[in-house]
Amino acid sequence: MKKIFFFILFCYFVNPIFSQEESQTAKFSTLPSVDIKTLDGKNFNTKDIDNEGKPIIISLWATWCRPCIEELTAIAELYEDWVEETGVKLYAISVDDSKTASRVVPFVNGRAWEYEVLQDVNSDFKRAMNVVDIPYLCVLNEKREIVWQHTSYAPGNENEIYEVVKKISNK
Amino acid sequence: MKRQLLFLWQILFLALLLIPPLTKGQSTIGRGKISGDFSFSGMYYLPDSLINATEAEEKVRANTYLNLLYTNANFSVGARYEFYLFPLIDFEQIGYKGQGITYFFADYKNDFLQVTAGSFYEQFGNGFTLRAYEDRALGIDNSLYGARVKVTPYSGINIKAIWGIQRKNFDFNFMERKDFVRGGDMEVVFDEIFPKMSERGFSTSVGGSFVSKYENPKDVTLKLPANVGVWSLRFLFRYKGFRLESEYANKINDPNLGNGFIYKNGEALFITTLYSQKGLGVSLSFIRTDNMDFRSQRNTPNTTPLLQINNMPSINHQYTYALLGNYSFVSQPNGEIGLQLQANYNIPKKTKIGGKYGTDLTIHYSRLHDIDKQFVAASDSLGSLKGTDGYTSHFFKFGKNLLYQDIGFEMSRRLNSHWKLGLEYNFLTYNLHLLQGEADTNLFKGHHAGVEVQYKINSRHALRLDAQHLYSKQDMGSWLHLLIEYSISPHWFFSVADAWNYGNSQKEKKIHYFNVAATYIIKTTRISLQYGKTREGILCSGGVCRTVPASYGVGLSVITSF
Repeated sequence: MKKIFFFILFCYFVNPIFSQEESQTAKFSTLPSVDIKTLDGKNFNTKDIDNEGKPIIISLWATWCRPCIEELTAIAELYEDWVEETGVKLYAISVDDSKTASRVVPFVNGRAWEYEVLQDVNSDFKRAMNVVDIPYLCVLNEKREIVWQHTSYAPGNENEIYEVVKKISNK
Repeated sequence: MKRQLLFLWQILFLALLLIPPLTKGQSTIGRGKISGDFSFSGMYYLPDSLINATEAEEKVRANTYLNLLYTNANFSVGARYEFYLFPLIDFEQIGYKGQGITYFFADYKNDFLQVTAGSFYEQFGNGFTLRAYEDRALGIDNSLYGARVKVTPYSGINIKAIWGIQRKNFDFNFMERKDFVRGGDMEVVFDEIFPKMSERGFSTSVGGSFVSKYENPKDVTLKLPANVGVWSLRFLFRYKGFRLESEYANKINDPNLGNGFIYKNGEALFITTLYSQKGLGVSLSFIRTDNMDFRSQRNTPNTTPLLQINNMPSINHQYTYALLGNYSFVSQPNGEIGLQLQANYNIPKKTKIGGKYGTDLTIHYSRLHDIDKQFVAASDSLGSLKGTDGYTSHFFKFGKNLLYQDIGFEMSRRLNSHWKLGLEYNFLTYNLHLLQGEADTNLFKGHHAGVEVQYKINSRHALRLDAQHLYSKQDMGSWLHLLIEYSISPHWFFSVADAWNYGNSQKEKKIHYFNVAATYIIKTTRISLQYGKTREGILCSGGVCRTVPASYGVGLSVITSF
């Protein structure tokens, strides 16, 4: 059973590499459909992440992840200007598990972040996005396609992120 | 010879797997999409008698895995192949050794229904009854292999049902296993059903779950239960910035190795209340657990994360400082009581105290004790409690032994466009005897202070200095840790670090643990090379602590997703 299954999967994987059919393929991937939670405890499906045709930034972070917080703090300092100029919206999806999940709300408010914050407590969205390590950040265009993605944070990355966002918004 | 061949094969495996991401990136078939991630983390071990680095028979070791996922509209299939035949030494020590397809599933999902066949991860509520999860970096994978159904009959009502056999490292004999887990969970989110509630600032939800484990009750001396059940109830209430959340769970008689085969019921209560508004967040949590360790097989020692069905959250502060790694507290599912308080405050920007960019402050305090226990009469002349109800316990009474305490303060502030400063101070008390089984019954007390300075040279280049000092008279004594990191956005990181155990009471153990590392990142691929010494330590996470041996060597890691 397992062997057959893996063989099928293997075919899926190998086929597009050697086939020349690219006609119907989309250039960029879109978001998977995964149920996560809002900070109020409501259910939220990740395919509903939306910004009415304007650019979207998604960041996967956790309260215990130092570079994640550094990145979101660096963006927070510029966020007002970014929103004004491009209409961008940032979804900060926390992967804090039940150890620290209850500290996400006070943390976010305590830092006065203006982001849309969601909670992925058992890493289901992280897994569906094939993210190994956080911080992970991606930018979505007007069709909600992932056009840019990056793992880890080095000071100055925010400049590159904003270049990508501006390009989408100027289209 | 065979081993060398296997190693060659491993390299080939790595090379082959890198072809698709390097040539194509996102591959698609029809309207479907193929994605995946790959991780290789290898090490060449060098001997070092001074730090007691394990002289491994296999000097070249690596943890390798590949995840593949195919998604087409509502349908998805996925699999993971793991190659851990010669894993890193600490993985070998916990028995995470082998290779094979450890995870594969097919899944259908629409707005009303989700059906999964094969492997899956799932959590009910806070995880008191069920938490099948993975933490690959620690070698924890408690996935279930079976089936799962999720139904949303009406927006705001969610029902889940699961059945499965739990993964046990690389033991693939599912057909011979005599144990399985089944359960269900239901949650009602009232403000989704009545949207007017949200408009007025209210949120309320309630939930409940029941999970039962079946295991062959064969035993010569005891009459063991074939089925062990855990149920729980939970609620969440929010009004504007105020929020109250709680969950209570009860486990019906579960004699197992971890609790000494007693028949007492298990209990857990978790309460969190918090208040927050823009710029301020305060939270207070309480936890009490008693005999809640719950495993697929009752003879699993509770010193490993293996076959854990549920997971108790640890409510203490989660430190990431290198020097405190040895003293991180993990939840004690079989008995702890305590509380945690945390406050986050942002001094607004453009104010006198807050400065041009604002200042972030955090204070936290937590204290955890063991629980009160009044033991019943022993079942035999040796004083064993095996087969009895074990003990009784006053619910809200703190036990006499302090397990852990932290009190700390953190501050971070950007001074101007170039400089950023972070300061912290922490005072820790840690019970080495009860938490790590050390013979010394004195409590570990440590003062930890740190300074982090970041200097942004220009829009791409930055320098970060992280200096930490741990002062203590117990255990390994005092440490000094220095790290300098140079980063070039967005591709490069270079770092040099030294941890110096200058306060060790034994002269020959006043060792420098020196490390250098270089990392290259492009999009979602990270390649890093590291050289140096890692001290022997205790890695506590996922509910257990484990020893990480001292090591010395060269490490290479390649992580990519596509």
